[in-house]
Amino acid sequence: MPSKHKVATTDELTDGSRVITEINGQEIAVFQIDGEYHAIANYCVHQAGPLCEGKLTGETYVEDNGWDWNYDDDEKHITCPWHGWLFDVTNGENIHNSKYKVPTYNVEIENESIFVVR
Amino acid sequence: MTDYFKMFVGSNTNRLLSPESIRTIEGWVRVPNMGSPSNTAESQRIRNLDELDVIVDTDAHIRETIDDLLPYIDDQYEGAKWIVERTEHPERDIYSLTHSLPPSLHAERGGWSADTNTVDKKLNELDEFNIDYGIVDPGLNLVLPTVNNERIAVALTKAYNNWLLDNFLDEGNHRLKANLLVSHHRPEMMAEEIDRMAGEKDIVGVAFPSTGVIPPAGHDRYDPIYQAAEDNGLPVFFHGASTNTSHVFPLQRMYNQTYTEDHVIIHPFSQMWNLSSLIFQGAPERFPDLDFVFQESGVGWIPYLMWRMDDHYLEMNYELPLLEKMPSEYIHDQIYFTTQPLGHTEDNPRHLAMAIEMAGPNNIMYSSDLPHSDFDPPSELFNRIRGHFDRETVENIMGETARELLDL
Ligand code: FES
Repeated sequence: MPSKHKVATTDELTDGSRVITEINGQEIAVFQIDGEYHAIANYCVHQAGPLCEGKLTGETYVEDNGWDWNYDDDEKHITCPWHGWLFDVTNGENIHNSKYKVPTYNVEIENESIFVVR
Repeated sequence: MTDYFKMFVGSNTNRLLSPESIRTIEGWVRVPNMGSPSNTAESQRIRNLDELDVIVDTDAHIRETIDDLLPYIDDQYEGAKWIVERTEHPERDIYSLTHSLPPSLHAERGGWSADTNTVDKKLNELDEFNIDYGIVDPGLNLVLPTVNNERIAVALTKAYNNWLLDNFLDEGNHRLKANLLVSHHRPEMMAEEIDRMAGEKDIVGVAFPSTGVIPPAGHDRYDPIYQAAEDNGLPVFFHGASTNTSHVFPLQRMYNQTYTEDHVIIHPFSQMWNLSSLIFQGAPERFPDLDFVFQESGVGWIPYLMWRMDDHYLEMNYELPLLEKMPSEYIHDQIYFTTQPLGHTEDNPRHLAMAIEMAGPNNIMYSSDLPHSDFDPPSELFNRIRGHFDRETVENIMGETARELLDL
């Protein structure tokens, strides 16, 4: 039966910041990105690296004209500090291959407190 | 005929070969030397990394800086030191440490900062991955072949060795062993350097940075290095570096517009060149008691090159009178390989084990390449091989072969 676990208060978690905590033996990070909260396991499905200790980053992409490179600075991708794999913290998926997916968890806000449901 | 032998010569072997010729070929593929593959009984398997007696990282980098080395340049090289000290960007203008695009963007561990230039930090890194011994190799000085000036190259080589002794080996820990450094610039001076350093405690080999070495490793101008290594009982380690592309493959560098294009090919490419040069120029024949170790190109390329070299040897022996036996036999007898980078082998984990089986598992040694961002933790290799080989072969790959080769 999942239960709710308080991890921080909303004023503790500013835009682009995170908190990493342990819930029932699983390390879980909660990120605040653009006012939304996202909980994701601090565990990289590549070689078990501490995924959520890495940097948040955007994404390079090619413009429709096929020539220009651009950088999307919506920094919602977590970079694993071990080998640099990138996962979208909003859904846990590797940005290059959705077959690689890190568990995510529901987050609930009550009275300015942030809860992870696990 | 064993199942394993069938894998090598094809399923129609029984029909095509007489028993006599089968025996001949069995000798060539050295069946008795191979680790036992997948028909191993369940009880002989190893299940857990904790069951290993020893894990040896045969490519454990430290990250020396110019500032670390400067105080260790001998007085004899005062003039060289004076120049290096006053060089504003020594990584660029003394060494030519360049990439197609900067690698620092893709991972935080990075490759070139000074985070692992103390014993404690390096030991912490080994502890993080439960590694017992690290065979220390240089970081910045992998780029040594790009130093244009011979005097400065020799001064920096000796400075690295002095720094290594003072900071890593005289510290009384016995988990860090190291290869003494040589440069390719002045082989006869490097022979003296090997003699100077070989007796130092915890020196286990000779590091010969090998991408950018022109001529390649088999040329007899390097014989003084090989002779001194053989005399001192130290294996020679060849370590590639994609940074050095600018010197050895400038045309490729110019057209490799990304770090990825450069890095993907240069490690195996330059090691293939050095290994084939070494074998076909007869270096193992000239130095039969010397072992060679190829680092940081993974294992997938080994069977391919071995097959190709054997094939050429049989076809063109008129130009290879130096060789007394098949290239693959020299490899089995005198050449070792370290495992990192394994590559992305997850889609069919058995394939990596099969590649190791084809390469000859007794010559394969685990390496991490820590702290670089393409490092392999021990589990990555262990999980791919533990179900394929018997216990002893797995133990050998993870550490026992290195323990024996390097006398740990
Ligand atoms: S463990 Fe995360 S990228 Fe390798």
